[in-house]
Amino acid sequence: MTRRKFRFSRKAFAYPYMLFMLLFVVVPLVIVLINAFLGDDGKLTFENFAEFFSDAGGGLTVLGNSLIIGLVTTLICLAIGYPCAYLLAKYHASNKVLVLLFILPMWVNFLIRTLSTKAIFMALDVKLGMGTVLFGMVYNYLPYMILPLHTTLVSVDHSYIEAAEDLGADRFTVLLKTVLPLSVPGIISGITMTFIPAISTFAISEILSSSKIFLFGDAINMHFSKATNSFGVGSVMSLVMLLLVIVANVLVSLTDKEEVKSVL
Amino acid sequence: MKRIFAAVLFTVLLISGSVTFAACDNKTSQVDKLVVYNSADYIYDTNLTDFKEYYKEITGREIDVTYVTFDTNETMLTRITKGDSNVDVVCPSEYAIQKLLEGGHLVKLDYFNESNYTADMRSYGGYVHNSDKIDQNIIAKIDEAFSNVKVAGEETPQKMTEYFVPYMYGTLGILYNKYAFAEMGIYDYDTINKANWGILFNDDGEGNKLSDNLTGNILMKDSIRDSYAITLFYMQQSGKFGDLVSPDGTRYQNMSPAELINVSEDEVLDICKQVLVEQKQELFGYEVDFGKDDLLKGNATVDLAWSGDAMYAVEESWNDYLCPECIKKSGKDQGSGNNAEIICSVCGGECGDYELSYYVPHTSGNIWFDGWVIPDTYDKSHTDAIKLFINFLNTPYAAASNLVEIGYSAAVNPDVIRNDADARAVLAEAYAVNDDSWERLDEDGNPLEEFDFDSWEEFEEYFFDYRNEIDNSNWRYPFLVNGNETEYDRSLNTLGVMRDFGENNKKVITMWNGARSTGVSALPLLGWTVLAVAVAVGIVALCEFIKRRKNSTVKIARPKAENTEV
Repeated sequence: MTRRKFRFSRKAFAYPYMLFMLLFVVVPLVIVLINAFLGDDGKLTFENFAEFFSDAGGGLTVLGNSLIIGLVTTLICLAIGYPCAYLLAKYHASNKVLVLLFILPMWVNFLIRTLSTKAIFMALDVKLGMGTVLFGMVYNYLPYMILPLHTTLVSVDHSYIEAAEDLGADRFTVLLKTVLPLSVPGIISGITMTFIPAISTFAISEILSSSKIFLFGDAINMHFSKATNSFGVGSVMSLVMLLLVIVANVLVSLTDKEEVKSVL
Repeated sequence: MKRIFAAVLFTVLLISGSVTFAACDNKTSQVDKLVVYNSADYIYDTNLTDFKEYYKEITGREIDVTYVTFDTNETMLTRITKGDSNVDVVCPSEYAIQKLLEGGHLVKLDYFNESNYTADMRSYGGYVHNSDKIDQNIIAKIDEAFSNVKVAGEETPQKMTEYFVPYMYGTLGILYNKYAFAEMGIYDYDTINKANWGILFNDDGEGNKLSDNLTGNILMKDSIRDSYAITLFYMQQSGKFGDLVSPDGTRYQNMSPAELINVSEDEVLDICKQVLVEQKQELFGYEVDFGKDDLLKGNATVDLAWSGDAMYAVEESWNDYLCPECIKKSGKDQGSGNNAEIICSVCGGECGDYELSYYVPHTSGNIWFDGWVIPDTYDKSHTDAIKLFINFLNTPYAAASNLVEIGYSAAVNPDVIRNDADARAVLAEAYAVNDDSWERLDEDGNPLEEFDFDSWEEFEEYFFDYRNEIDNSNWRYPFLVNGNETEYDRSLNTLGVMRDFGENNKKVITMWNGARSTGVSALPLLGWTVLAVAVAVGIVALCEFIKRRKNSTVKIARPKAENTEV
C-alpha cells in the first residue's frame, strides 16, 4: 500500500513543470491564436489574415526575404560546417582543444558577439548591409551546424570505413558513399537548428545593418512593440512562424524514423 | 512526538504571522500611499525623496510612494485601458492622453471646487494647474490641437487641458556632426536653413544632393510617428504634394505645420511611402537606441533626434582638440575635420568644442509633450497625495532638477524657474559639473559649499538661450526668440502638435512596414550563393576527375616498371 502511494508522489514531481509549461507555453500560444482572429473593435474577424496574405504591409515580401536569407545562411553553414565537423571528428581523439575552439564562441552572449562584429566592420570601413548581416548569421549559427554533425560523425563506426576501403573504395568514394549517408541525421538536425533561428532572428539584422535589412522577426517585433492596435497582424505573423517551426520538426522526426527503420 | 512538534511549529508560525500582519496594519493606517506610473528614466531620482519631505511639510504625514515604470506608451495604454492597473497618477505622451481621454479613462482635474483638503494648497503657491506657473505657450499649443476631444460618456467635446497637467515637452530635430558638415562645405547658415528637413534626405532644398559624402551617413528614427511627421514636412518643403487637395478642399502644399502633421489620407501615404523608399539609398540605417552612439563614434553624421536625447549627445561630444574659431575660418576650403591631431592657429589647440549640434528647422517642426493624468481606476483615498505630487513636480526646484537630469524642457514657465533661488542653485550646480572653469574653491582654496549666484548671467544663456549661431535654433526653449526674430518666424506657428490618427493608425503602420520592406531583395543573394556552390562543387568534381585519371595512369604504369626490374 505504502509503496503505491510513494510512486504516486514521485509522479507528482512532474506537476510543477507541467504547470509551468501550461502557463508559459500553452496559454501564450492560445492568446496569440485568439489575437489573430480579433479586430480593433474586439470582434471576430479574418481581416488580419487578409491584410497579411494580401501583402499590404509588405509582410509576404519580408517573409520571402527572410526565407531566402535563412536558406543561404544554412547552405553556407553546411558548406563550411561539414568539412569542419569531418576534420574535427577525424582528429577528435588526438586533439580535443580543436573542438573546444569551435564551442568557445558559444559561451559568449550572442548580442555581445554581434555588437563586437559591428565594431570590427565599422573599424574596417565596411559598409553595413546584406553582406554583413549574412556574415553575422553564419558566424552566429555555425556552431549549431557543426555540433550535431560532429556528434553524428564521431559515432560513425570506423569499421564501416575500413570495410569500404578494403573493398577498393578510394578516400573520396568512402566519403561520398559511406560517411555521407551515415551522417544524414546529423545534417538534417544541423539544418533545422540553423534554418529556424535564422528566419526568425531580428537582433542580428538590426545591429549589423542598422535596421536597413528588415526581416520577418523585425516585422513581428514592430507589430508588437512599436505600433498601437496591431497585435492582430503580429499574431498572424507569429502563427505563420510557428507553422514553419512545426513543419521543420515534423520533417526531422520523419527522417529520424526512416533512419531507425533502415538501421533495423 | 512528531505531531506535538508540528503543532508547536504551527502555532508559532501562526502567532508570528498574525503579529506581522498586525504590524503592517498599524503602519498602513499612519502612512499615506501613492502609486506613480511613469516612463523609465523620466524623473530626477532625488525628486521622489524630496517629495516625501514636501508632503510631510504640508500635511504632517508620512507617504509611501510606489514608483512603477513603462517602456512605451503602447504598453501603458494596454494596461490602463484594461482597467486592472491600480495606479494613481500616470505620465503619458500627448497622443496617448488623447486615446485615454477618448476612451473615458481619465478623471477631470477640477480641484479648486473641492473642500476636503487637509491643507490649503493656495498657501503653498497655489495649485499649478491653470495658473501662470505653467508655460502659457505650451498651454496654447495644446489647446490648438486638443480643444475638442470627443470623450466616451460625455455629451459635449472636452478640452484636454482640463484633464492633465503638462510635465515635460520637447521638439524633433536634426542632430548632426558640425565638423563633418564643415568638411563637406555645408556648415553655414544659408545652406542649412535652405536644406532644412532635406538634410535627412540629402536634399539641399532645390532637389540637388546636399553632399555626396552624406550618402550612407544618415540615420532615421525607427519610430513610426516621428519619421512620418518629418517626412510630411519634407514633402511639403520639396513640393512633392503638387496640386493634391485634402478632402476638405485645402491644398496640402499650403497647409500650416500644425495641420499638415495630422493628415493621413491614402494619397498622402502613397507619396510618403515612395519618399521613404527613395530615402533608403541615402541612409546608414534606422535606430532607436544606438543613434547617439553611432554619431559620437563617427559611424554616421546625421540623425533624427528628440531634443533631450540631442542635448545629452551634444554634451557627450565635447572634444578638447576642436576649435569653434577654426571651423569658422577654414569653413569651406580647408575644413578642420574631427582630426584630434589638429592644432589651431587661433588658440594653439587649447580651446575645445562640442562636435555635435542640434537643429530644429525654422520652417516647420513637431513639438510634443507629456503630462500627468489620473486614470479613473485610481484609489480615492490617495486623492490628496496625487494632487500634491503633481503640484510638487511643478515647483521651480523640481522642474529645474528634471530639466537638468532628463534634458527635455520642463513645462513650468521659464521665467518662474529663472526667478526662483532654489531652482537657480540646482542649475548652478549642474553648470559647474559640466564646466571645469567654474570656481569651486574660494580664495583660500577651501571648497565652496554654495555656488556664487552673482554670476548667474554666465550660465543663464546655457539653460535658456543656448543657440548655435550657424543654425540659430534655441534647443531647450523653442518659443524664446532673441534678436534674430525678424529673420525667421520661429514662433508657435511653425511647430505642430501631432494627434492620434485614430482609424487611420493601421494605414500608417502598413505604409511604414511597406516602406521598410521594399527596396531590399534577397533574391540576388540566393542567385550568387547557388552560383558559388555550383562553382565549388564543379571545382571539387574536376579535381577528383583529374586525380582519378592520374591514379589510373599510374596504376597501369606500375606493373610495367616492376616487369622491367625483374
